[in-house]
Amino acid sequence: MAARTKKLINQPEHILQDMLEGFAAAYPDIVRLTDTGLIVRRQPKAEGKVGLMIGNGSGHEPAMIGLVGPGLFDVNVPGEIFAAPGPDRILEGIKEADRGAGVLVCVSHHAGDLMNAEMALELCAMEGMDNVEMVVLYDDISSAPKGQEPERRGTAGLFFTWKMLGAYAEQEGVTLAQCKTMAESIRDNTRTLAVAMTPGTNPVSGEVMFSLPDDEIEIGMGVHGEVGQGRRKFVSADDTIDAMLPPIIEDLPFVAGDDVLVFLNNSGSLTQMELFILNRRVAQLLEEANINVYKTYIGPYATTQEMAGFALSLCRVDDMLKALWDAPAIGANVRVVQP
Amino acid sequence: MTITTDNLKDMVKAISTALSDSKSDLNALDSELGDGDHGTTICAGFAAAVNAIEEAQTPSEVLQKTAMTLMNRMGGSSGALFGTLFLRAAMTVKEFDDVSSELFGAMWQAGLEGVISRGKAQPGDKTMVDALSPAVASLAQASTAGTSLGEALRHAASAAADGAQATANMQAKYGRARYVGERAVGHVDAGAKSIALMFGAMADYWAQMNAAEEDSNGEA
Repeated sequence: MAARTKKLINQPEHILQDMLEGFAAAYPDIVRLTDTGLIVRRQPKAEGKVGLMIGNGSGHEPAMIGLVGPGLFDVNVPGEIFAAPGPDRILEGIKEADRGAGVLVCVSHHAGDLMNAEMALELCAMEGMDNVEMVVLYDDISSAPKGQEPERRGTAGLFFTWKMLGAYAEQEGVTLAQCKTMAESIRDNTRTLAVAMTPGTNPVSGEVMFSLPDDEIEIGMGVHGEVGQGRRKFVSADDTIDAMLPPIIEDLPFVAGDDVLVFLNNSGSLTQMELFILNRRVAQLLEEANINVYKTYIGPYATTQEMAGFALSLCRVDDMLKALWDAPAIGANVRVVQP
Repeated sequence: MTITTDNLKDMVKAISTALSDSKSDLNALDSELGDGDHGTTICAGFAAAVNAIEEAQTPSEVLQKTAMTLMNRMGGSSGALFGTLFLRAAMTVKEFDDVSSELFGAMWQAGLEGVISRGKAQPGDKTMVDALSPAVASLAQASTAGTSLGEALRHAASAAADGAQATANMQAKYGRARYVGERAVGHVDAGAKSIALMFGAMADYWAQMNAAEEDSNGEA
């Protein structure tokens, strides 16, 4: 594979720290960078509310550093590029997030994220911290068949959970157990399928992360360039949506009369123009299926460097989830303000 | 012959050097199935471990400091699994001032069990277990047969190398590689390759050290 040389970094081993310092310098009103490299809320959540934290590999920005703030996460523990942080750093994140009502450790289902979170919870148990729970989230229908949902990996559709769970945990009197149930319920109503056209570069090694013929696209591409399972000829925006949306609808299944949130996640280098053209077809097909779009969100959330591609996610919502979706959130890269 | 604390430190250094020499190969293997950074990550982990063990006083301390450094420095699944491997090994040699041939086998046996319980992979799933498991079996066999430590290490290294090579024909069931399905077939797993390099480095170190000692004995 050809090495890509033009990445605006300094030394590869300083990528994480350099990025975090630049990020913290840009949003001092929202976040604070700790000495040990955690991103925490500038104004901590009020005492007595459930803390939300997540650890994850970096390189997917704005995920997850851009989702720390009121109405979102309390703490993010960014790991090295595409590698979950180790258990000692997750433990530290849990302690930072604790406001006296327990901490929910959120895990986007990938092997390393899960193993390190499990080890961190063992460390919590050893230290006698018993008000800590873990919730494992997944949404990508291409990564395991229906009926084996817990084997699926966590991808762009988790954005729905982060936003609505974040709003839920801001409410007075909500317990840790209720937060976990809420996260699971949003997860179980979310489905995602992604597609990639050209690869991103691993910024550490400088190598492109996969290869794909010029005239093909890959359906089911993961957020670390894990190759998916179905390649097809590249035709057009409409043809791509026509291939992606039906399997998403059938998997849950979403049915006529459902209210849904739609999310088109830019994996890196698509233009807004392309995403709007894609969404035109999504809106058409959902209307034909009598599935009501409550709100649509378009933009980058979980990226894989400059990979060209996107993820399409749907989440079925009821009145409670609609209110949580519309609730205020102030993250560096996600802002919802009340009208 | 037994392995002293200093020998173990030298082994960790030898592992670090061997992995560094193969860094780009490991990255290339990983880019076929994962995200292409296994070599970079594991080299950084072991380089940090070499510094962390400098002051270690016992075999257990060498292994435990290595474990904690790998876990926290590497992160990801490889940090969790290589960390667990060394942590379980450390627990096995606790209370011992040096490591006998039997204990050396037992510590990697415990490490293997830790890796399996943490990662849930079994032999045949195209992971580091496929190189580690035959190496551990070979050490156990050598221990029963009363083979010398040098010989035992050489056999374990060759068993690990064969095990790693055999992953080329396997379909991945764990980690990021599992999502590649049948396309994983034909590529050696990078974690298994690292285990093979690790046992190879320990065997080479032991052989060279003994050769050097024989030379100096000869001169004397």
